[in-house]
Amino acid sequence: MTHKLIALPQAVARFTRDGMQYASGAALPVGADAVAFGRELIRQNRRQLHAIFHSNTQQLNLLCAAGAVDKLECGFTGLEGFGFANGLRRAVESGRVVLEDYSNLSMALRFLGGALNWPFVPATVNIGTDVQFRSAFHPEEYASPRKIPPVIDPFSGQEYGALSPLRPELAVIHVTLADPEGNAIMLGSEWSRFELSRAARRVVLVADALVATDCMRQFPNLVRIPGLLVEAVVYWPFSAWPQASPGVHDVDEPHMRLMNQALGTPEGYAGYRRDFIDSYQTLDEYLALIGPDRITALSATATGFLLDPYRRWLLSRADIDELLAESKAS
Amino acid sequence: MSLNYTRQEMMAIAAGREIRDGELAIFGVGLSLLAGFFAQAHHAPNVRAMTEGGIYGATPVGGLPWGVECNRLCTNAVSFTGGLDALGFLVASGRCEVGLIGAAQVDRFGNVNTTGIWGELLDEHYRPPKTRLTGSGGANDIASGCQRVVIMLAHEKKRFAERVDYLTSPGYLSGGNARARYPFRGGGPSAMVTTLGILRPDPETKEFQLDAYFAFSSPAEIRAQTGWDLQFAPTLHIAPEPTEEELTALRRVDVTGALRRN
Repeated sequence: MTHKLIALPQAVARFTRDGMQYASGAALPVGADAVAFGRELIRQNRRQLHAIFHSNTQQLNLLCAAGAVDKLECGFTGLEGFGFANGLRRAVESGRVVLEDYSNLSMALRFLGGALNWPFVPATVNIGTDVQFRSAFHPEEYASPRKIPPVIDPFSGQEYGALSPLRPELAVIHVTLADPEGNAIMLGSEWSRFELSRAARRVVLVADALVATDCMRQFPNLVRIPGLLVEAVVYWPFSAWPQASPGVHDVDEPHMRLMNQALGTPEGYAGYRRDFIDSYQTLDEYLALIGPDRITALSATATGFLLDPYRRWLLSRADIDELLAESKAS
Repeated sequence: MSLNYTRQEMMAIAAGREIRDGELAIFGVGLSLLAGFFAQAHHAPNVRAMTEGGIYGATPVGGLPWGVECNRLCTNAVSFTGGLDALGFLVASGRCEVGLIGAAQVDRFGNVNTTGIWGELLDEHYRPPKTRLTGSGGANDIASGCQRVVIMLAHEKKRFAERVDYLTSPGYLSGGNARARYPFRGGGPSAMVTTLGILRPDPETKEFQLDAYFAFSSPAEIRAQTGWDLQFAPTLHIAPEPTEEELTALRRVDVTGALRRN
């Protein structure tokens, strides 16, 4: 069986382009998200992205601070217990990023509508509020004159809201475990990664760990993203850092604060880019940047038992390097 | 009088008292999560707790969770699903009995703004806000679908506005039976629990009135800190102070002391 492993810089070069609709598949702001993919987008100077994030993460906060995002659709833009997202906030308040608001359920419903090829999704949420009719996007960007137009239920005559479906050009989805063919298991809340993996035109996975396909055959009910939907798999442990990945590592609280504070000013962002984006070339250099002591401490998570059933199938770094060398050769 | 406790702790306990044993309940992040898990630790051991990310049956371990699906809520869950399941199948369907949400700004009908501050009336196509807040998150969904919603916020005049800058999550909209036009399964907010007291809606007009003040506040102070002409309910009373058992239960949940810092 051919595998789909690809190095992170190649994945960004091959699957992304300026001006594209870029969706991230993640958990909420302190949960698992492929923040490292966003760092690589910045390293390759991607611009004018139309970002589709169910919910803000440090990746989105960073991309907004970097000026890489022009348009954004989102359900939540804070950092939960870590406060407001300074990079995103600065970009939205200055008008640099045009942010269209939805809610956490309406984003999931819009992915579902895209996945099912529905023309719209009848909504019992967002209606009756300013989320329904007030829009930041220019009116000409909508097929209808209004953002969530009213629609009448033909059976009851009741009024609902018509949510527009989402079919992002690319979804980059964080998963805990993937096999080399792109079958994936997520630990913790899926948030909307199941629907997004069906709605997006192309899917790239970023995995904390790789396992042999026999692992997927042991737990096929838990494989919520099957490889037949997936174009490529990137192995990048701690890609969610400084956020958490349940079962694998905890949130890095000091770095969450340091990063968010830095993103509050242009000078702070420049320093952050120098120190934490442009300062590494390889995975090993990235892990060295986090630091072995911090990696040990963050890996000692009370959630570690969640990974226990899968450990016997984990591929070693040597196995993975061998597969990656094959893909380079081909 | 009196145990030593903070205003934040009084607010969390007062909000927790709104939750009844056995209910299916959804908690937002931060203070509302603490209030919810306080209720479970104190008088509602059989509350069926969930978060909007679809984490079911979990209690926090190691301190106040940073987020609604942070690792501190991932060590003893019985089910991990997702937003469509929690906010859709369980909340929009009308199954969820009570939700706790926070607010940056409210009006007299319990409409909530967590989106932004513009300081001017918005057009349909609007400009960037002066201050960007967090957006809805799951709050709009909870306010639309939960049978009852409890709103928690700091009681300051600028937050209790004649009109919210942006209506993020529906309370009673323009008041009276205005919600009836929409297919919401939820009945609307049953209480606003603040750092100074408890407001409840008038049964007919749905305008929020002062129902209770705390031992450390007064009706006059609360009226002065409210941006509309706040009415007093006929039932106006002093809310009971926290009992020793309540404080002990709350502090067992708030192990990092997030509510004790002011």
